[in-house]
Amino acid sequence: MSGVPISAYLTLALVLFCIGLYGALTKRNTVIVLISIELMLNAVNINLVAFSKFGMIPSITGQVFALFTIAVAAAEAAVGLAILIALYRNRKTVNIDEMDTMKN
Amino acid sequence: MNEYFLSILVFSPLLGIAVLALMPKTQEVAIKAVGFLATLPALVLALVAFIGGSDHLKKYDIQIEWIRFGDYEAFDLFKIDYELGLNGFSLVLIVLTAVISTLAAIASIHIKKEWKGYFMLFLLLEVGMLGVFAAQNLILFFIFFEITMIPMFFLIGKWGYFEKEKAAYSYLIYNGLGSAILLIVIMVLFARTGTANIDALAQLMAVENANTVAPFSETLKFGLLIALLIAFGVKLPIFPLHTWMLRVHVQAPPAIVMLHSGILLKIGAFGLIRFGMGIFPEQFKSIAVLLAVLGVVNLLYGAFLAFKQSDFKMVLAYSSISHMGIVLIGLGALNEAGIQGAIFQVVSHGLISALLFFLVGVFYERFHTSTIANLGGMAKGMPLAAGFLLAGAMASLGLPGMSGFVSEFMAFLGLFEEMPILAAIGCIGIIMTAVYLLRAVLGMTYGRANRDFIAVSDLKSVEFIPVVALLALIVLIGVYPSVLSDPLHSTLETIMLGLGG
Amino acid sequence: MENAWIIPLFPLLSFLFLLLFGRRLKENSAYIGMVLTLASLVYSLVVLFERFNHPTYKAEVTWLTIGDVQLTAGFEVNQLNALMLVIVSLVSFLVHTYSKGYMHGDGRFHIFYAYLGLFTFAMLGLVVSPNLLQTYIFWELVGAGSFLLIGFYFYKEEAKAAAKKAFIMTRIGDVGLLIGMILLFWQVGSFEYDEIFQAVDEGAISAGMITLTAILIFVGAVGKSGQFPLHTWLPDAMEGPTPVSALIHAATMVAAGVYLVAALFPLFAASEAALMTIAIIGAFTAIFAASIGLVQKDIKRVLAYSTVSQLGYMMLALGSAGYVAGVFHLMTHAFFKALLFLAAGSVIHAVHTQNIEEMGGLWKKLKLTGPLFLIGTLAISGVPLFSGFFSKDEILISTWVHGNTFLFWLAVIAAFFTAFYMFRLFFMVFTGDARGKQKEVHESPSVMTFPMIVLGILAIVAGYVNTPWFGTFLGDWLVADNDALGHGHIEGPAWIMIVATVVSLLGIYLAWLIYGKKSIQRDWLTVRMPLTYNVLYNKYYIDEFYQLTVVKATKGFTAVLSFIETFIVEGLVKLVAGIVHGLGIIGSKIQNGQVQAYGTVAFVGLAVLIVIFALTGGYLK
Repeated sequence: MSGVPISAYLTLALVLFCIGLYGALTKRNTVIVLISIELMLNAVNINLVAFSKFGMIPSITGQVFALFTIAVAAAEAAVGLAILIALYRNRKTVNIDEMDTMKN
Repeated sequence: MNEYFLSILVFSPLLGIAVLALMPKTQEVAIKAVGFLATLPALVLALVAFIGGSDHLKKYDIQIEWIRFGDYEAFDLFKIDYELGLNGFSLVLIVLTAVISTLAAIASIHIKKEWKGYFMLFLLLEVGMLGVFAAQNLILFFIFFEITMIPMFFLIGKWGYFEKEKAAYSYLIYNGLGSAILLIVIMVLFARTGTANIDALAQLMAVENANTVAPFSETLKFGLLIALLIAFGVKLPIFPLHTWMLRVHVQAPPAIVMLHSGILLKIGAFGLIRFGMGIFPEQFKSIAVLLAVLGVVNLLYGAFLAFKQSDFKMVLAYSSISHMGIVLIGLGALNEAGIQGAIFQVVSHGLISALLFFLVGVFYERFHTSTIANLGGMAKGMPLAAGFLLAGAMASLGLPGMSGFVSEFMAFLGLFEEMPILAAIGCIGIIMTAVYLLRAVLGMTYGRANRDFIAVSDLKSVEFIPVVALLALIVLIGVYPSVLSDPLHSTLETIMLGLGG
Repeated sequence: MENAWIIPLFPLLSFLFLLLFGRRLKENSAYIGMVLTLASLVYSLVVLFERFNHPTYKAEVTWLTIGDVQLTAGFEVNQLNALMLVIVSLVSFLVHTYSKGYMHGDGRFHIFYAYLGLFTFAMLGLVVSPNLLQTYIFWELVGAGSFLLIGFYFYKEEAKAAAKKAFIMTRIGDVGLLIGMILLFWQVGSFEYDEIFQAVDEGAISAGMITLTAILIFVGAVGKSGQFPLHTWLPDAMEGPTPVSALIHAATMVAAGVYLVAALFPLFAASEAALMTIAIIGAFTAIFAASIGLVQKDIKRVLAYSTVSQLGYMMLALGSAGYVAGVFHLMTHAFFKALLFLAAGSVIHAVHTQNIEEMGGLWKKLKLTGPLFLIGTLAISGVPLFSGFFSKDEILISTWVHGNTFLFWLAVIAAFFTAFYMFRLFFMVFTGDARGKQKEVHESPSVMTFPMIVLGILAIVAGYVNTPWFGTFLGDWLVADNDALGHGHIEGPAWIMIVATVVSLLGIYLAWLIYGKKSIQRDWLTVRMPLTYNVLYNKYYIDEFYQLTVVKATKGFTAVLSFIETFIVEGLVKLVAGIVHGLGIIGSKIQNGQVQAYGTVAFVGLAVLIVIFALTGGYLK
């Protein structure tokens, strides 16, 4: 157990976050973007859990927050997908480039 | 009473705003009356303070704790108090503000639309101007400074002449940039010393390697002073930052230009003297030559260009640039005569330009033009107005017996001690001032009449008040300058002490 | 004498009162003006007589404090000041009286009297000033009063131009005075005459500085007294009403330059170079203006050039260390020139033209004006027994004794010219046949002739206060207890007086031959030397020269600045506006509605901040 240092957890989280960020910023398919956001959230979860074990003052708070995040992420995914479906019905596309109504 | 005296003075126009807010929009006469009356309390209080003498100004100081940042109570740092106070210089400017505001309110009889909004903004502007001169710390100063800017923008943009929007934006951009720079200076000072109080800052800066929160290098101080110079140089204005001011002078309604040219420009001079000279005296000495050169450039540049204009408002606009050059000349001389001359010029030009712009408003009301050629021979139809115009022009070109001479004379007296050759070049400006003013004023009043003046009425009764009041003040200062120099005495001593003798 | 400060206040009162209530008084305004200037005159005479037995009186109060320096205002009654008070208030009173007839029927009668009051106030204030600053203040006010009076007929384009020109030309001189005065202040630490003279006496000021300041102050006098090269405004100033020309542009204001040099004489006397400058300018102006006067056709212009020329004489006297001669001639000139102008005004009043070609034969019709004009003409020509003879003689002697031989002969030629053109004027106006369309010509009313009679008497007798025959009372009194001013009377060779007399009689004889007896053709000069004639008639083209040089240069410089304004300064503004505008365009392009693009910007921004943080440790030094 003690063989795995905290840096390994953090590196994993970092890699995961970067993949998520890359996906969120570059992918054209809105579903992929949503999934990428989930990846970033999960990277955060790993950090939270890691610090709750290895942090300066280890406590259960980190894990509690990780659970919160999972709950929020689930809700967010549900809402996001619902919006996406509504958009798809109107526009017949999930290409993110075409969704620029914020421009106006 | 004394404790709240200044607060009442500064915020008394708000009462007028409150009353106006409750009035119906269409009651033109009543609104104008309320707008005028609302300027009176400040005027009365300012005069009370002025007559009370300049020796006991400390009693008006007020300091109330207002905002604190962080956890520095033990050191008494990083707090912003609500603090107002007076010294001789600010007292004189407050009186000037109150007087010109009242007279500009009278001049506002020519406003044609939306009187309610106009007077509410007008009174807010007055609060800002009074506050600027009374503020004892930089942040409060900045707040009041911004309060003047916003009403001014709307007053120009809504009640001005044909290109009013352009002028208003021009005003906003230049002054916005100016105040942004000013804000940077203020924030650097505040962050590094933990205090925004002007006197405290001046004391801190006077000590070499003072124990401030963060250190001040000489370069930093110098940079801050240059930034101040730019920030207030926009306001004054200093060549080549002056173009916005020409537009404002031409496009804004005359009553507003009275305030603008009479007082708002003076905030630039006030800032340079109070902050530039007060907080950074050492660095100020090193840019004195630059200031004097800029002053002479301003003086000549404004004078020569005024010579060419065909619109009287443009002549006056360039004449303002030219006259502000004299302020810079006085500051650049950096001796008692020069600084006193600069302050005199601030007051004197405030009165003179208010007088001339009021008359411009009077003419525009009757002839719908301010082009010199179109007004030729006006002395035939309006002998009184023409006479006052000539008197105003004489005051402006520095005829002895009027305020313009005293200030011009002292500024040049000061500069001749330090830089005689530069001063001698500047003296060409004295000739050119006479040339362009006579060309413009005689072009309007003398000569063959270019139009029919039969149906034109001369000055009406209510129009006499500002004209006579302003001319009386101009002559008073010109004949008995001690009325102005006595209150300034202690302030000047403080400044000279800061400059080291 | 302690209350002499009140003398200038009477006319000021007249000015203020007439400005406020003149409209209701209409032509009764004249009485207000006359009574108040009479009060000044009476008190001036009292002061003058008191001054004979009492020492100089001086009183001052603080006017303005600059640091430790106190600038004062006050008054001083010394010999020169007391004399000037009487001259100014006397001429002013007579002109006030005369104007009542001359200006009769003018719609702005009261304004005219108000302006006269203002001018008299300023002029009286000027001559009692105890320091340079106060002198400068009244100096400028005098200029303003003159400006208002020249431009009195404001609806005439010529009057407007003349008023403007007078103000600007004198202001050019005034700037010289201002600079000189300030430079002197920083040398001496005071504007007071006493202290300046003391500093000069003690040698506290370097010789170069004395010369520089003296010449700069003299520039002021050049402007005010219409000396070359700033003389062009004075003939144009004749656009003003004629009484004004008599008061301002003959007797008082233009003499202020001479007065200034006289009042500061110890300063000038300390610098030989400054004296020489004054003498040369004076002598040159004397002959230069006299030569122009030979051919002018406007009666007032001839008198104007004669004034310029006579002022040159006074300057020549002062420049030759002839303090008494200069002041003496200032006094006699004030009387006979005012007389000539008033008489000219009376002529103009009668025939309604100023062109001497359209006059002639008026001697019989104007029974009083004619002889009075003749008295003035004899006086100015330097005919013996008249006042001008004695004062001109003093000037010539001073010049000769001082060693300015060349200038002396210039002055003699100028005297010849003077006699010639003055009698040309006299013969053309009063003798021969009536030319032009003269209708009924009447002598002026007594209110106009009375002042002329007073001046006529003075033009004859004023010279006897300072003659080599009966005693030099004026001179001795003027220089009493002040060595710096030189001697009361300068002894000179007797032949000078004879030369002067012969020269003036020759001038008169020549004028008589041409214009009286007509034995020489009138167009003698015009035909033989058309070029010379044209140059003289066009006043040496000085105005045109200024128009081509100074005015053009000013306009050119203005055009250059205007170019800078439109293209460089405005260009700078456009540039700033353009940058802001460009940034706006870029900014609006970034706002493309793509959430991913926004995210990218946010991410890059965060990254930059983190990098800065990492590099600096979070604190900007």
